Amino acid sequence: MRIGAPKEIAKGEARVALTPESAAQIQKLGHECLIETGAGLAAGFDDAAYLDAGVSVVESAEALWCEAEVVIKVREPTDAEAERLREGQTLISFFWPAQNEALLEKCRAQGATVMAMDMVPRISRAQKMDALSSMANIAGYRAVIEAGNNFGRFFTGQVTAAGKVPPAKVLVIGAGVAGLAAIGTATSLGAVVRAFDVRPEVSEQIESMGAEFLFLDFEDTQDGAESGGYASPSSPEFREKQLECFRAQAPDVDIVITTALIPGRPAPKLWLEDMVALMKPGSVVVDLAAEKGGNCDLTKPDERVVSDNGVVVVGYTDFPSRMATQASLLYATNIRHMLTDLTPEKDGVIAHDMEDDVIRGATVIHQGDITFPPPPPKVKAIAAAKPKKKEKEPTPEEKKAAELATFKAQTKRQVSMLAIGGALMLLLGQVAPASFMQHFIVFVLACFIGFQVIWKVSHSLHTPLMAVTNAISGIIILGAILQIGSGSAIVTLLAAVSVLIATINIVGGFLVTRRMLAMFQKS
Amino acid sequence: MLGQGFVSAAAIAASVLFILSLGGLSNQEKAKRAVWYGIVGMGVAVFFTAFGPGIGGYGWLIPMVIIGAAAGTYLANKVEMTEMPQLVAALHSFVGLAAVFVAWSADLERRRVLAAQAADGVMQEFSAFAALVATKAPDELTFLQIEVVLGIFIGAVTFTGSVIAFGKLAGKVDGKPRQLPGGHLLNAGAAVLSLLLAVLYLNGAGFWTLILLAALAFFIGYHLIMGIGGADMPVVVSMLNSYSGWAAAAIGFTLSNDLLIVTGALVGSSGAILSYIMCKAMNRNFVNVILGGFGGSQGPAAEIEGEQVAIDASGVASALNDADSVVIVPGYGMAVAQAQSAVSDLVRKLRAAGKEVRFGIHPVAGRLPGHMNVLLAEAKVPYDIVLEMDEINDDFASTDVVIVIGSNDIVNPAAQEDPNSPIAGMPVLRVWEAKQVFICKRGQGTGYSGIENPLFYKENSRMFYGDARESLNTLLPLVD
Repeated sequence: MRIGAPKEIAKGEARVALTPESAAQIQKLGHECLIETGAGLAAGFDDAAYLDAGVSVVESAEALWCEAEVVIKVREPTDAEAERLREGQTLISFFWPAQNEALLEKCRAQGATVMAMDMVPRISRAQKMDALSSMANIAGYRAVIEAGNNFGRFFTGQVTAAGKVPPAKVLVIGAGVAGLAAIGTATSLGAVVRAFDVRPEVSEQIESMGAEFLFLDFEDTQDGAESGGYASPSSPEFREKQLECFRAQAPDVDIVITTALIPGRPAPKLWLEDMVALMKPGSVVVDLAAEKGGNCDLTKPDERVVSDNGVVVVGYTDFPSRMATQASLLYATNIRHMLTDLTPEKDGVIAHDMEDDVIRGATVIHQGDITFPPPPPKVKAIAAAKPKKKEKEPTPEEKKAAELATFKAQTKRQVSMLAIGGALMLLLGQVAPASFMQHFIVFVLACFIGFQVIWKVSHSLHTPLMAVTNAISGIIILGAILQIGSGSAIVTLLAAVSVLIATINIVGGFLVTRRMLAMFQKS
Repeated sequence: MLGQGFVSAAAIAASVLFILSLGGLSNQEKAKRAVWYGIVGMGVAVFFTAFGPGIGGYGWLIPMVIIGAAAGTYLANKVEMTEMPQLVAALHSFVGLAAVFVAWSADLERRRVLAAQAADGVMQEFSAFAALVATKAPDELTFLQIEVVLGIFIGAVTFTGSVIAFGKLAGKVDGKPRQLPGGHLLNAGAAVLSLLLAVLYLNGAGFWTLILLAALAFFIGYHLIMGIGGADMPVVVSMLNSYSGWAAAAIGFTLSNDLLIVTGALVGSSGAILSYIMCKAMNRNFVNVILGGFGGSQGPAAEIEGEQVAIDASGVASALNDADSVVIVPGYGMAVAQAQSAVSDLVRKLRAAGKEVRFGIHPVAGRLPGHMNVLLAEAKVPYDIVLEMDEINDDFASTDVVIVIGSNDIVNPAAQEDPNSPIAGMPVLRVWEAKQVFICKRGQGTGYSGIENPLFYKENSRMFYGDARESLNTLLPLVD
């Protein structure tokens, strides 16, 4: 099949759906690759790089749409582009079918198959083609960079000769992919980061990225697993609680990054005008939800506005495009993985398997029918979150009581063991001769000393310990020496053999210990 | 001839020196001095006993000591550090055998003295031990007999057990658990029979009972250790270490010699503590290890998702070049492949490049307590970067690269995550928390215990297949 990527014509769009790298991989699947001349320029890939990768460069968009059997794009097609679609052609791009019903109908009328990259279901197998996540990741990163660009201070705290610099305090609202990327970027720049999300199960992820989770004490928190890992609208009471929490944070934080989106709805307003008013002058709000109306009251899409009290509100909607090279590399890889799934035999023939969860989910028009919305995937996105156990901090009294209880139990055990031991000794003393008891005292004391001494031996010296105990257990030679002078020939013989092997033990054991210990060197 | 006073003084001095010698092992530098305390203590003990009152037979004694010393020196200089477990096991067997011989001799002496006393009714001149026996009262003689039985039994079990342990460690006996049909019932039967023989002996039966008793104990030692697998050898060797001590202590009672009792007790408790530490590190109890086999699991083990992804030397090298902190987790596989000096070269190179390199040692890594430490020390790895499990376990989360060389169960996350795993609850090195884990392994397949290791299937794990030494040698030139 011929796979072609036209130049993006949407204003300000710098990304491209095919990179020289992804082209090389796609060709391995048996496909041919085409690109419109200059399509990759804005993302840093010139035509020569594509030619080197074996891609045919096509002179015009028209020619490309004509030649390509599969068109891969970033943005949804414009009306003009949709008209170029023809029967049997496949289009793979972002499409937003729920918002673009007219476009959907138009493409259906043209008879093309359309796969929407934004409809790839969120299951583990499809992660490699989840373009929303890769773009969100870039947006999160870029949001912090934009914030830093508009923020007049360091992120990291420093103590310099010229004075102390406090670290910037960053609040991230919404811990989806973009939010987590923002947390990661901000913490690695050295900021103090707090984060909030309506789904309590993400607290672990937030903490793993090095941020503090703002915990909202509210009974009826929602379970993100039910909605495929996305947030859903919250109840009015919950919203009140949430805003209260943000209001408390507003005077303290320097940078707010909002990423709260609810699929298929306008963005919830979470950072209200009065909160902006509470912020310190020079603070920055970056609104990643600007395209959907913004989380902040003051947000104007694609603009940077300054509030009356000097707070900068950034409402850009093209964060991924602002990092066109990185975004293109990731997006092209997502597309490439999609094509890999579509070409299971790697023979250059596309097999559109509507039984496959991922392909079915992404396909919005197939064989002249609108196939959107898809049925729910057979595999659930995320395993249902286990209810989080709240570990109650024991009160000081409880702690004390617990300590006392363990102490009592220990005392009880020790005393009862001593009592049993004492009773046994008493019994033994009744039957054993006095000379035996004298030796027995020595034996018990030696055991005690042994236990005390050996517990202190360093673990790394356990092998030398074994060797040296080996050597000194050769002390049994004394027994043989005491017997070797016996009048009985057989006893003398047995004793002589014992002396021989015990000596091997003693000498061998000590020498090998010495050899080992000499090897232990400090660096 | 030295008087009894000298002998007693020497015994006190030797006891103190032995205690100091063991206590000195608390730290590497002190240990180098401490071993001399042990040597001097032994020298004092042997010299003063040998030239004490009533000792004869120097015509036998001196040549035997000379031959033994020569053999010991030869052995100590020749042994490879990877062969330490075998050597230790072999030396235990000597103590066991000597204990059996000395106990037999003690009974022969007792019979000789009693016969002589019955024959002429007058005190005749006996040499050292026989003289002591001659002075004993009847109830003391009964106790002496009990001690003889104990000495023989423990000594004989130690002897054959150590011989089998030696064979398994040296690869001369199959390392897998093997038992005769009847299993532990045979052991129990032999033990009951031994008890019966002991009762017969105490009631005046002939010397044959002691020979038979030793034979039965020999069988128990053999059969018990045959039933234990290779990876449990650390426990077995420490247990035999303990037994050799108790055998010496039992002989000490027989001969009424306090120095033997003290030393035997020291060694016995040392081995007991080592066994305890090893069992704890495997989260198994002692009986469970000795009787062999893993504890019952409550259900099917959790299924493992994912696949083992292989990586080549250049991939590992580039990760190492990018890493700041590296932890190496060696296991028995490193010893088998003799890879310790290759590891040491790698460590030197990485440290020269300014990276933080450390070792994480699990208590049961290898076939002997502390085995890995000795191997690394031999390869000139400084001991202060070789850390214990508890010291390093919390640092894995902040480690860039972990290299696992020839270990399996001690890095198995199932021990903590899967309550149905046969090794559930065993403390393990949490290597999977690191950013990347490379597992140096001969091939796919499970380790000694036959337990699947989910670590190999984790997203941040890569399998570096091949012989450990060869793999590391191909890796070395690629690291800069």
